[in-house]
Amino acid sequence: MTESSRSDDGGADSESEPEAVTDGGSAAVVDDRVRDFTTFLRERPQLRTLSIAGPPYGILVFFFAIPLLAMLVVSFQANQIGGAWTVGNYVDFLTSDTYLTVVWRTFLISVQVTAIVAAVGYALAYSIVRFSRRTTLLLLLVILPFWTSYIIRMYAWINILQSDGVLDAILNLVGLPAVGLLYTNTAVLIGFTYVWLPLAVLPFYASLTNLDGDLIEASKDLGAGPIRTFLSVTLPMTINGVITGIVLVFIPTFGSFITPRLLGGTNNVMIGMVIENQFKSAFNWPFGAAIGMIISVVVVTLLLLATRFGGGLFGAGGEAS
Amino acid sequence: MATAVIVAVLAFLWLPIGVLVFMSFADGGVLSFPPDELTLRWYRVFLSNDAALDAIVTTLTISIPATGITVTLATMIAYAIDRYVFLGRSWLQLLATLPIIVPLVVTGVAMVLFFNGTLGLPDYVSVVIAHVIRTIPFATLVILPTFMSFDRGLEEASKDLGADEFETFRQVTLPNVFPGVVAGGLLAFTLSFNEFVYTYFVKGSGDPTLPVYIWNQIRYNVTPEVNVISVVFLAVAVTMVLVAVSLTRVELIVRR
Repeated sequence: MTESSRSDDGGADSESEPEAVTDGGSAAVVDDRVRDFTTFLRERPQLRTLSIAGPPYGILVFFFAIPLLAMLVVSFQANQIGGAWTVGNYVDFLTSDTYLTVVWRTFLISVQVTAIVAAVGYALAYSIVRFSRRTTLLLLLVILPFWTSYIIRMYAWINILQSDGVLDAILNLVGLPAVGLLYTNTAVLIGFTYVWLPLAVLPFYASLTNLDGDLIEASKDLGAGPIRTFLSVTLPMTINGVITGIVLVFIPTFGSFITPRLLGGTNNVMIGMVIENQFKSAFNWPFGAAIGMIISVVVVTLLLLATRFGGGLFGAGGEAS
Repeated sequence: MATAVIVAVLAFLWLPIGVLVFMSFADGGVLSFPPDELTLRWYRVFLSNDAALDAIVTTLTISIPATGITVTLATMIAYAIDRYVFLGRSWLQLLATLPIIVPLVVTGVAMVLFFNGTLGLPDYVSVVIAHVIRTIPFATLVILPTFMSFDRGLEEASKDLGADEFETFRQVTLPNVFPGVVAGGLLAFTLSFNEFVYTYFVKGSGDPTLPVYIWNQIRYNVTPEVNVISVVFLAVAVTMVLVAVSLTRVELIVRR
């Protein structure tokens, strides 16, 4: 029904088109036409909603959701798009010791990075909220590095960590031996911590701001020490922010290929690099798609766990309802 | 203690950036630190390097239209979610958030399969669409709260005084949410200017964007002008974010 009324309007619009041309496209005519159109829409609330929510909805479905479904389809094809149907890509991946080692390593690195970022980020957010008055400036200083190019930030760490780089030069100055950390596991952890720290601080900060400081005082007055207070008051009260931060760090780390490629060298291959390889040198797209699906399964599992334990990931703007 | 934490973490976040800026003035090139002498030589090299300047132009021809499309769509999303109750409203909100959460490499792969493999879209169109999808969630996260904090009573007043919905939107609603919309646009542009992963997968060879250009440089032949390009990225990001922040609340940026 709405379909037909929509096309009716389309017809009326194109009819009056030549008129606009003879008028030289004067603003008043355009205004009138827009006004006619909004009046037309106001009398049909469903169509009005459709005309505003529809285009972004359609674009997100067609160019974001459907490609993900297409990836699922392709992951069951052999060797190339349109190849014979098979589960071979999954079997190949899941029966390969090499690939399973890569998945395990990726998981370990992601857990380590998440733990480091959560600890440092929480300490920072706590310090800012509880002990500083210049919160806006400090938050800005934390966020700004996040908005510069990811690759550039990795490049900075190449300069710092490489043999005879900035770090080694400083160590030399104070009389310590050079370490040459580039292409080690440590370099990968440092790189990830560096890029995700700003991202995690924000949800930590948001949840800590909402925490009533009197509760902490009350806990202390009742005889709890700082650790007990933290574990039984502060942490439980801010758990949503913590879970959001954890998800925001773990998921992109798990899928990353830039950091291990640039800082990790050959001993720190992560699963994202295997995908990149399928698309950039091995050219086995269906196999790459299957690995993409495997990452997605991990991600969805984590999200379900997070939602269960109370992370408010999709709540952005939920206040409206 | 708290001050020590703050100072240490901020040093960790800013020293690498300081190193890049410093190195861009270093005479000896990338591998020597500390440098012997400070110079503007690499800036001159950069300004006479057509490949790098072309990469900037390529990036802008993608980022500017992508930002325009994203701001329009994000504003529509914010308006729809804020004003209307409709079937699938929470799905729209989910769809507008998910691109942040799905790993970039997964979406990048899905896009190259669908855009290039299934639809056979031209490179340029694919990349612009990819940038729109990448930036919509961030723009929406900034624009939506400005719609929500806007006092709807003003719109009622406007309508009571005889203005229709279009006039009300243009003369009352838009001026009030405009700072948020501009801030969303600036952040979308910054993100698009830096965008690498989607572009890397979706875009074929030839005419690299600046992030792709710098990726190739770092992986195959680092030249000292990479330091200068780093400073360009830094300048773009700092300028855009500072203007955006002055227009809206700092917490809105990347809040979740």
